[in-house]
Amino acid sequence: MSIATTHPAEHHADHHPSGMLRWLTTTNHKDIGTMYLTFSLIMFFVGGAMILAVRAELWQPGLQLMQPEFFNQLIGVHALVMIFAALMPAATGFANWMIPLMIGAPDMALPRLNNWGFWILPPAAILLTLPFTLALMGIGDGAIATGWTFYAPLSVQGGMGVDFAILSVHMLGISSIMGSINIIVTIFNMRAPGMTMMKLPLFAWGWLITAFLLIATLPVLAGAVTMLLTDRHFGTHFFDAAGGGDPILFQHLFWFFGHPEVYILLLPVWGLMPHVLSTFTRKPTYGYKAQVYSFIAIGLLSVVVWAHHFFTVGLPVPALIYFMFSTMLISLPLAVLFFCWIATMWKGAMTFETPMLFAVGFIVLFGIAGLTGLILADVAADAQYHHSYFVVAHFHYALFAGGIMGVMTGVYYWLPKWTGHMYSEKLGKWHFWLTVVSFNLTFIPQFFLGLAGMPRRIPDYALQFAEFNAISTVGAFILGISQLLFAWNIWLCVRGGPKAEGRVWEGAEGLEWELSSPPPHHSWETQPVVK
Amino acid sequence: MSHCVCQGGKHMNTSATRRSLWLARFCASAGLLLSGAAHAEYKFNFPEPVTPIARETLHIHNEFMLVITILFVVVFAIMIYSMVKHRKSVGHQPAKFTGPTGTVQWFWALVPFAILLFIDFILMGIPAVQAIIEMEDTKTRADMVLKVTGMQWKWQYEYPGTDVKFISTMSTPREQISNAEAKGEHYLLEVDNAVVLPVGKKVRILLTSTDVIHTWWVPQFGVKRDAIPGFLRETWVKVEKPGTYRGQCAELCGKDHGFMPVVVHAVPEPEYLAWLEQKKAEAKAAAGGADRTWSRDELMAAGKEAYAKQCVACHQPEGQGMPPAFPALAGSKMVTGPLLGKDGKIIKDSHVDRVLNGKAGTAMQAFRNSMSDVELAAVITYERNSFGNKTGDMIQPAQIKALR
Amino acid sequence: MAPAVSEPFSGDDLARRRAASRRLGWAIGIAVLALYIIGLFFKR
Repeated sequence: MSIATTHPAEHHADHHPSGMLRWLTTTNHKDIGTMYLTFSLIMFFVGGAMILAVRAELWQPGLQLMQPEFFNQLIGVHALVMIFAALMPAATGFANWMIPLMIGAPDMALPRLNNWGFWILPPAAILLTLPFTLALMGIGDGAIATGWTFYAPLSVQGGMGVDFAILSVHMLGISSIMGSINIIVTIFNMRAPGMTMMKLPLFAWGWLITAFLLIATLPVLAGAVTMLLTDRHFGTHFFDAAGGGDPILFQHLFWFFGHPEVYILLLPVWGLMPHVLSTFTRKPTYGYKAQVYSFIAIGLLSVVVWAHHFFTVGLPVPALIYFMFSTMLISLPLAVLFFCWIATMWKGAMTFETPMLFAVGFIVLFGIAGLTGLILADVAADAQYHHSYFVVAHFHYALFAGGIMGVMTGVYYWLPKWTGHMYSEKLGKWHFWLTVVSFNLTFIPQFFLGLAGMPRRIPDYALQFAEFNAISTVGAFILGISQLLFAWNIWLCVRGGPKAEGRVWEGAEGLEWELSSPPPHHSWETQPVVK
Repeated sequence: MSHCVCQGGKHMNTSATRRSLWLARFCASAGLLLSGAAHAEYKFNFPEPVTPIARETLHIHNEFMLVITILFVVVFAIMIYSMVKHRKSVGHQPAKFTGPTGTVQWFWALVPFAILLFIDFILMGIPAVQAIIEMEDTKTRADMVLKVTGMQWKWQYEYPGTDVKFISTMSTPREQISNAEAKGEHYLLEVDNAVVLPVGKKVRILLTSTDVIHTWWVPQFGVKRDAIPGFLRETWVKVEKPGTYRGQCAELCGKDHGFMPVVVHAVPEPEYLAWLEQKKAEAKAAAGGADRTWSRDELMAAGKEAYAKQCVACHQPEGQGMPPAFPALAGSKMVTGPLLGKDGKIIKDSHVDRVLNGKAGTAMQAFRNSMSDVELAAVITYERNSFGNKTGDMIQPAQIKALR
Repeated sequence: MAPAVSEPFSGDDLARRRAASRRLGWAIGIAVLALYIIGLFFKR
């Protein structure tokens, strides 16, 4: 795989290795960004294949394709892969590629740390999925089967798949922490002269808050899964009532990380949106300061709302009331963001190339996520929604329509910058429409399934749920197959295509657009000065 | 409440025939959808509520859905208007503003904020707080108590103050699940022993579990509460209408999480009391089982029945198990090992110990809590003399009773 | 905090910034590790 990079005539003495060694040892932020993005795309298809198998089983009532134990493994690993091996690496790939370009830095502040941060990921992904293969060989009984949330005591009971998952999560966490340290340090120390914090591009602001959330909450997750490991093998009783512990402690610890995690997945995308909207409306970003303060507010609030993930567990009434109101409070800075996005569009001169299509689709569909999130916060109504398909639909609107479509927006927006070629607009538009239609076909029925009383994480269901499950499965297969168009478009674009200028898009503003497409090897070889 | 799905509103040619054809097709599909919705009743919403909490929850949900639908439509109408009007292709020139300028614009910026605050904290928040307080008030004027214990993968129900205690297991045959037989009407939502509750009485429900977290949920009751091992949780219901109400476990609890339904028969109080008396008599009879000596044949027959109900899910019909999670009983060293110690006491990690006390940290629960003396004696005897095991020994219900 | 606004970083300046970055990086890393280790000692 080769991405054309231009080497200026006078080169300093460093010899750049080629082939496999280049990728193993590179400290170049663009190479590392490329590796993160490639890894993410591969894992996206791995996670997607898993859930298509699940939806195939759920096509009709009865067990046709697999036993419940295997079903339970697929759903949990699907989530872990999508969250930790697809979405987060994609966002990190964006950060690596774009932050130095945007702030006028020659590279990330800690280039070797950058390399290590990436190379932890492939072994971590292998660890997560290895138990599937081992089970086929008769070793162990499969991958983790507790869902991605690892709840005790079920996870204490589980087979070696849980241990593999714990180790994998530790490694994934360390990789993210390394990346976050790098991003914080780069943004603080490596900005070009004249770029004050209040001139920092919003994408960088989004990632700055994300990075702080990661370093604050990942240690708590690491602690929780370590305590789980010792409960499993070393005689502790953190989560075992008979030994004086409490299973609910696990839920508190997990979701203390888990809730900020969803904003970790979304903040980079919220930071990206203003760039895309401003470009394709040919208008400056509306409400820069308001958006910065909203990011900070959301970041701070996200850390104090975790218990809304387990309202039915028997929390005391004051806790229920507090967590309900604090959760609803997040709707306010989020509303500010929506307002600013639409105000950026208002009275612009819009064109609808693929990145803009995805941005608009994101705003509408993520809006559904936010609004359904608001009603989920209502403790009384949540008694019906909790752990039903209503929640499954809600978080897929947040994480697919929000997270993944946000990533697709960024890919279409920046591919020409990275590769120097334009992608196929026709393929892009086909991909967009197929994705949006099939996504809604997949998940709207799931809202109704939840309301009708279908619980989550079941491999078989009562007859009244059959119709909507069938529709959802059809949607899912169309959705999955449509993503092949995305992969193909990327492949074609990497290989060739019409030449892309430095300023790829007519309305694009920002330091990154002043460099060639693709940028030179050391990005900013002469540092820019920001007026 | 049914939701009319909006057709895409495509821009058509102005030909009158095409317009009326489109209109006719639209009305037909809308009519079909609405009539379908009417037949299905609550297909697009919660099922019919039969408790005060469920009614309150449905009301809150409907109100909230209306609010967010209005918000969605208004906000995205504005956005779509902008996408149509403010395009380069119709020649619109881009503006340059980056924030509110002047009082009017500040007003437009802050008013949505204020509206949202009002919706969140006043319109929805206050009724929500009232509902929470009502939902959590399990003790005021409670008429009776039901104790629910979640187990992998069944529910145990107890009526404190009486000896009535029974296990409720899914009764859908495995052949239906594996598609060898046609599926019944209440596929996956039927049990052998349903809970019976009196209509019109406030029932305080206590929940716990013997192994992992389960969740007891009956949608028509509007309650969902976790059953947590080692802890007691509470909720309450007051069923207003006689009928049969079905729900499922709602917390992933292992392989048969989808196969442990909840079924409640709500009946008029006299009928409930009669049922309770009958159950008390049955409990007495079962307890008396320990007072006599049972023959080998009786134990084997009862054991086979108990095995089919309690053990077969994991250890399989021929005792072959599903190693490593569920060990085989056929040819097992533990099952064919010594029955009791020379002193007549339980040997640690022996067959009897394992069945009575379970194995901590695994799915093997302590069946002493959920099986009677007769059932325990029978199933132990059965396992020791089936699947190719030929220990030749047997154990009496009276012995089990003494060993407790 | 920044050098003269109108000029790009000099070689020295870049070296200083890189050193500062390394220091900050270690500081954050140690803080994270501390969070993790101290957290393990909290008892309910």
